[in-house]
Amino acid sequence: MRDPGPLNTVTSNSNKISRRLDIAFRRRHSGSDFAMSDWGPAARGKRIMRSLRLASFGVQGIVGDGLSPELVMNFAAAFGTFLERGPILVGRDTRHSSRMLQSAVVAGLLSTGCDVIDCGVCPTPILQFSVGPLGGTGAISISGGHSPMGHNALTLLGAQGAFIEPVVGETVLDIYHARDFRKAPWNAIGAVQPSPALAEPYFDALARHLDAGAIQRAAFTVVIDPVNGAGCRYIGAFGERLGLRLLPINDVETGHLAHDPEPRPRNARQAASLMGHIPAHIGFISSSDMGRLSIVSDRGETASEEYTFPIIANHVLARRPGGLVTNCCTTRTVDDVAARHGAPLTRTRVGQAYVLSALSDENGVIGGEGNGSVAIPAFNRGFDAFLMMGLILEAMATRGLGAAALIEELPRYHIVKRQVAGETHRGYQALDTLANQDDWREGGALTTLDGLRVDWDDGWLHLRASQTAPIVRIISEAREAEVAETRALNASRLLEHLL
Amino acid sequence: MKDYLKVGISGVRGIAGETFTPQLAAAFASAFGSYVGRGAVVLGRDTRASGPMFEQAVIAGLQHSGCQPMLAGVVPTPTLLMLTRQLDARGGIAITASHNPAPWNALKFIDDEGLFLSPAKAMEYFDIYHQGDFKAVAEADIPGAKLLRDPMRVHFDAVHRYVDVAAIRAARLKVAVDCCNGVGALHSRPFLENLGCEVVTCGDRITGDFDREPEPLPHHLTTLSALVREAGCAIGFAQDPDGDRLAIVDEQGRPIGEDLTVAFAVQQVLDRHAQGPVVVHLSTSRCVRAVAEARGVKVHLARIGEINVTKAMLAHGAVVGGEGNGGVIVPAVHPCRDSYTAMALMLELLAMTQRPVSVLRDAIPRYHLVKEKMPIRNEAAVGILRALRRRYEGANMNLLDGVYVDFPDRWVHARISNTEPVLRLTAEAPDEAGARALIDEVRAEIARSGT
Repeated sequence: MRDPGPLNTVTSNSNKISRRLDIAFRRRHSGSDFAMSDWGPAARGKRIMRSLRLASFGVQGIVGDGLSPELVMNFAAAFGTFLERGPILVGRDTRHSSRMLQSAVVAGLLSTGCDVIDCGVCPTPILQFSVGPLGGTGAISISGGHSPMGHNALTLLGAQGAFIEPVVGETVLDIYHARDFRKAPWNAIGAVQPSPALAEPYFDALARHLDAGAIQRAAFTVVIDPVNGAGCRYIGAFGERLGLRLLPINDVETGHLAHDPEPRPRNARQAASLMGHIPAHIGFISSSDMGRLSIVSDRGETASEEYTFPIIANHVLARRPGGLVTNCCTTRTVDDVAARHGAPLTRTRVGQAYVLSALSDENGVIGGEGNGSVAIPAFNRGFDAFLMMGLILEAMATRGLGAAALIEELPRYHIVKRQVAGETHRGYQALDTLANQDDWREGGALTTLDGLRVDWDDGWLHLRASQTAPIVRIISEAREAEVAETRALNASRLLEHLL
Repeated sequence: MKDYLKVGISGVRGIAGETFTPQLAAAFASAFGSYVGRGAVVLGRDTRASGPMFEQAVIAGLQHSGCQPMLAGVVPTPTLLMLTRQLDARGGIAITASHNPAPWNALKFIDDEGLFLSPAKAMEYFDIYHQGDFKAVAEADIPGAKLLRDPMRVHFDAVHRYVDVAAIRAARLKVAVDCCNGVGALHSRPFLENLGCEVVTCGDRITGDFDREPEPLPHHLTTLSALVREAGCAIGFAQDPDGDRLAIVDEQGRPIGEDLTVAFAVQQVLDRHAQGPVVVHLSTSRCVRAVAEARGVKVHLARIGEINVTKAMLAHGAVVGGEGNGGVIVPAVHPCRDSYTAMALMLELLAMTQRPVSVLRDAIPRYHLVKEKMPIRNEAAVGILRALRRRYEGANMNLLDGVYVDFPDRWVHARISNTEPVLRLTAEAPDEAGARALIDEVRAEIARSGT
């Protein structure tokens, strides 16, 4: 594998974090779900990793441990109660657990009297796109996305497939916690409607949004690795519509994911090794829900997922002026791209729901995050790997540039990612302490939108307590690798001391 | 006490959207998966509106425990029992409230032999549910559901092997069926047409609701009666929603009473198929005993509840029997109540005797049954049953289920209901006055005992 270039992501795993730790659950009898016990006493003397997280835009957790059929059924019933009426679309990825969770979700929604359109295996972006045309009041997408096997999540989508606004989602959580579900009487229980074909209208619209003719004429050879996920059964239609010669790998729905589904260089090795033998114009690696994307260049470089957003932003903003939205820990390359095109930049908290909500508020043209996700509101209401692939191919075709050249024309920074172990509440305390001290910032400007961010002329540093693991994440980016490394190391020492 | 949830020997039962929720169904399914262990579990349902919802919930609950749901879809309960045995599954779950009205639904649990859980097994299973500690399997071990193709085949083949199909086909009978908008709406016409019958149907649309009261009692069968008369049928069959019970209407459109379904089945099996003991439950009409004893066969009595009858049949090596409510059991087909076996035997009887139903009916001694119920507290019921035992000391008594007193040509039975807070009083005698007198005698004894 060749050096992926200066915009290189280094992850330090000096602190070994168990992905799965002791969980204290309280199982309540009869019709209730697995609920977390209070953190205080349970956490004492033990490091607790959460196996479940309920948030306004959904629920995520470890299958069988936090995510039980009953919990998921209750969550779906809360959503059905909130929406009041259907039809509600339900789609899933290919994981073994997704089938089980889908049955639970459907039962929960039917019990509130909402009809369900069963979309079966369906990438999240196609589900989002289909809500409007099918007249749905909302949708639930069941997918572990970029999380490893054993994890899964429900994502709640509202009218037109948009993410539930965080504030609105609080209502769903209130219904869930109060168990205040609407119970439809026996003769008003919802019905399951079969889904019409979703691929054709979606790819028709995608082809219209893109310069499909230019892409077809370029006759690209493309490697796609949908990690045995929801993309498997749709990539054929994608390739056909854009006249691609497709070399798919890990494209069988086995229920098992061939590798860690987070699109990033270390998970792109299969694609890269194939491209070492069979020349291709580009390789794409997606998450199991087709929400995130990373690329392998025509030179076989496994590019950081941080590239995906700036490559596309650089292409889109050149053709369509307007605002850009990103989170507070995405590479400064994005800032430079926005500046190059005179696009106003809005920063949000970390998480696609926040980015998409701001994109709506600011009427932005493009939004994305450094984890390999991009949304274009003019086309779809969420992060969409088919759209991302299409736009990158369009950039290659219309500008006559190879994938490597698209990466090379971007400003370069060095990103260093580290993590420090510490229980979540201690993590917040440590960040509070640092927020009130000045000397460690060395003159950098502090912002506290989500965790702590310090900006210098030549780079930035971001410290944030993880929402899913007992760690504080450190991201440091600078023009010089050494500077980025030093800042990350200093921050991790500081945090180790405080934790 | 009206809209309660009933958890007991006949499963988990309640009103959909009130006491019985998909959350509860998933939890019971998970517990069942933990109880039977990882492997295949057969799943089917009747036509109730809440069926698809509970089906999804049960699928998720089973998968959570690592069981593979084998989906039979909308099929009769006896079919599910047979499939469970045939497929060597770990167990099965029937989603049906049987003869209860449409708002109700229930889960009924089937063991690996294709029988409903015995009281001992049911107790063990409910303990697992109450402990609440269901084994969740790891992600990679969650099995996908499997759709069973042609799920009726095992059942219908078993019935065909038992009866003389050629004789039935040759008779070319015209029959009417009231499917009660239940599973029969899908399966009864093909079954009967395959036996060479000309078939007319009512209650043959699946709407999620039932056009008539689902219990096949005589006064619920007026539509079927009219159909039999108008279409000139040789016989009318009335099924319940899940296809285990059967009532018969004669060629003049008169319901002949559910007890006669079992009596005819006993007659036909003993005359044409096998010699051996007969088992019926305690409250079954004496006419069944008359038919059996006329053929030199002994009748054993079992406690109320299908699994109790099944177990007694297997213990006694019975060749035929069932319940007086129209539940015919032929163990050689499968030891469970089955309206399809009952229909086939009845058609065979008509084909072989070439006599109308009314004539066959008149050949069977007529008894009159009087059923009453007394509201009662459980603690008082125990005292009453004790008093009745003393009152009938020396008489021929059966204490399997309450107090059953057997006289040469009549009987009286007092038992505590499994489903309601009442004492059920049933008496049967050659005439109505005789039956009434027995009930009055018991009521007088209850009054005298001061409870």
